[in-house]
Amino acid sequence: MTKPNTGELSPEQGAREEIKSYAVGFVASLLLTAGAFVAVLSDLPSTIAIVLICVAALLQIITHLRNFLHLSFSGNQSREDLLLVLFSAALLTIMAGGTWYIMSDLSARMHGTPGTSAMPHDAANH
Amino acid sequence: MSQDTSPIFGNLNWNVTPYTDLLRDVNSSTIIGAGAASVLVLGAIATLALLTYMRWWGPLYRNWLTSPDAKKIGIMYIVLGLVMLARGVIEGFVIRAQQATALGTLTQEHKVGLVAPDHFAQLFSTHGTIMIFFVAMPLLIGLINFVLPQQLGARDMAFPVLNQVSLGLTAAGAGLVMISLLIGQFGTGGWTMYPPYTGIDFSPGEGVDYWLWAILISGMGSTLTGMNFAVTIFKERAPGMHFMRMPLFCWTSLCVAIMLIYAMPALTVSSGMLMLDRYAGFHFFTNAAGGNMMNYANIFWMFGHPEVYILVLPAFGVFSEISSTYSGKRLYGYTSLVIASMSIAVISFTVWLHHFFTMGQSAGVNIAFGIATMIIGIPTGVKIYDWMATMWRGRVRITAPIVYLTGFFLLFVIGGLSGIILANPSIDYQVHNTTFLVAHFHNVIIPGVLYGMLAGIHYWFPKAFGFRLDETWGRRTAFLFVGGFVFTFLPLYVLGLMGMPRRSPTFQNPDFMPWMYIAAFGAVLMLCALTSLFWTFFTSYRNRMALAVPGGDPWNGSTLEWSTPAPVPEWTFPRIPYVAARDDWGERKRAGDPWKAPQQYCDIEMPANTAHGLLIAGAAFALGFAAIWHIWWLVILSFLAIPGVLALRGMRVIEPKVISAAEVRETDQRFRHLATTLAPITRAEEESERNRGVPDISEFAG
Repeated sequence: MTKPNTGELSPEQGAREEIKSYAVGFVASLLLTAGAFVAVLSDLPSTIAIVLICVAALLQIITHLRNFLHLSFSGNQSREDLLLVLFSAALLTIMAGGTWYIMSDLSARMHGTPGTSAMPHDAANH
Repeated sequence: MSQDTSPIFGNLNWNVTPYTDLLRDVNSSTIIGAGAASVLVLGAIATLALLTYMRWWGPLYRNWLTSPDAKKIGIMYIVLGLVMLARGVIEGFVIRAQQATALGTLTQEHKVGLVAPDHFAQLFSTHGTIMIFFVAMPLLIGLINFVLPQQLGARDMAFPVLNQVSLGLTAAGAGLVMISLLIGQFGTGGWTMYPPYTGIDFSPGEGVDYWLWAILISGMGSTLTGMNFAVTIFKERAPGMHFMRMPLFCWTSLCVAIMLIYAMPALTVSSGMLMLDRYAGFHFFTNAAGGNMMNYANIFWMFGHPEVYILVLPAFGVFSEISSTYSGKRLYGYTSLVIASMSIAVISFTVWLHHFFTMGQSAGVNIAFGIATMIIGIPTGVKIYDWMATMWRGRVRITAPIVYLTGFFLLFVIGGLSGIILANPSIDYQVHNTTFLVAHFHNVIIPGVLYGMLAGIHYWFPKAFGFRLDETWGRRTAFLFVGGFVFTFLPLYVLGLMGMPRRSPTFQNPDFMPWMYIAAFGAVLMLCALTSLFWTFFTSYRNRMALAVPGGDPWNGSTLEWSTPAPVPEWTFPRIPYVAARDDWGERKRAGDPWKAPQQYCDIEMPANTAHGLLIAGAAFALGFAAIWHIWWLVILSFLAIPGVLALRGMRVIEPKVISAAEVRETDQRFRHLATTLAPITRAEEESERNRGVPDISEFAG
């Protein structure tokens, strides 16, 4: 086998920190998941609940990337990792933003949905 | 759906096979249904009998099913793809035969045409599902698995066992689609399965569930494959193999990997949501309770459009390799091809709305995506010009892959052009849901994907099995596929413009008939092409001694995979090569004495065989099948089995297989000696039996 060029540590060196990192990630993920459930089950207004769930989801993504997938912006892989994060962010923006753009337009053109007052001119033709 | 779900057999009973339908009512539709089921059963029995009679069970298990070798996994993917291709082409033939006999059947009470409308809907749904997910995907993933590590100078994929699991999941999905021939029915919602029609209210029963589970399971496999490819390309390149030294096939594989990683989850999400709707009473895509069915189309095509380029980019990689090799020239415009491939990969994520221009969004949204769609034509055009420039003034040998390539040039451009036409929303409003659209996407997918994959199989076949494929039969197959395509699908453009709706089991306009007959004739040619394809394999196998190329470089190639013997040994390279140039093998030929032995040999560690992939595949198949038929105890059991198998493997210490330096030395020295003793052949003699796989390197100019 060729020598790995990934800057891996030998198992003995890194084992302790590895396990610690995984454990922290695991506990954080559990808490964030439980938090989302609490937000749903509580009496909070739905807008706030949705915002809370979204924030918990984002934080959980970051936890996974950091603690499980070992993404870091320092060390000899930082450039690749940064590119990866930027590329992912760009694609997710296209997907989520595009969905928002399409679905809100469709919803605005549907009859009887909130927001129909903003119906564009050409939809009222017939 | 029956009310009484048995606790042991779920919804399964003796009335779910097509034989029950045949007994109830004998007509052409039930005969075809029962016939297809019989072919499946007899084929399975014949395969089992052959394996037993030839005592191949042991070798099959030891050498193939449990092998984590990417090359073997690739070959198994391709075999799966070719088997499913046979079913897909036959279904396509039945679809064309149906429409050629379907004039006026709407008004006749008891005449339904060749197959009943419901049966016809199953046909086009399985045809699409199979061709996309279980033919095109396995073929391209298989080809990448076989070629990519060899071109990168790696021994294997980054995650060999994960690779096995991916293959297993894909095969499990394919198995579900296959078994739907015999047990129950497939869905009737087309290969996209749009709700609300495919929701539980309008499509109760197992049909849509077959599709959902097949797609979900094989989709997981494809996502994992994508990750495997990406890590392999980033981490397993041979020393000196910079990104800009990678062969173009590796570049397109990288694009495919990226798109698999980012696009497949969208499919998993949309099918997962539809599954929750159907099984758990959710309302993502219903009209009630705040659901929105249009979001299904949105999420599905967020996967669906990148998927189109996932399919076609590996073919672009193959065409880059063969246009260069068979014209004996360096690839023209390497950098522009790299940039074009990456542009396609990114832009393909911004065009998905063009699959549902007519869903009701305002003109501004349509225009934005229409423009993006037209833009993606530019990098594709760049590529076509690059390949033509590569062949320009080269000494082109008209081998089977070159026939596919020229067919691709002529036909793919027509398909691309009709795509640009359809990218205009106002035109799309006129022709959407007609056979014009059917003609368009077959026109890009058949010349793009199928020709590319068959050309690639022909090109790399000697590397896998040690003998070339018969050129004459290879060319005949290629011509038949080109002719079959022209006759089958170009009439559909005309029919679409005449107003023939797609997926229609019947029609009333006699003007359609001449075109229908031409298309049906084309379908016959496609069947001949399929037969000819399998005959090529068979006749080449019979003639394998004369076609053997132990020297390993039958086409005077320039990339690393041609430096090894044919068939390539398990460890691929006796020593990981140091790459000093783009097209490193070509450079070594130019420097003279490319077959120089490495200075020293050392032990090689290879991943040990394991049944891990098989176990996961078995559990995934059982999970899907049980969930489709509501056999809840088996669902729970197989669902727990998957993490169980993973945990078991995680707890065991697994020793790699070590191949001793002495064995590597012996095999390698024998090959080096053979390469010097075999008579080198010129390119002109390449097709003759004198081609033993050692080219005349003085002729190498590429």
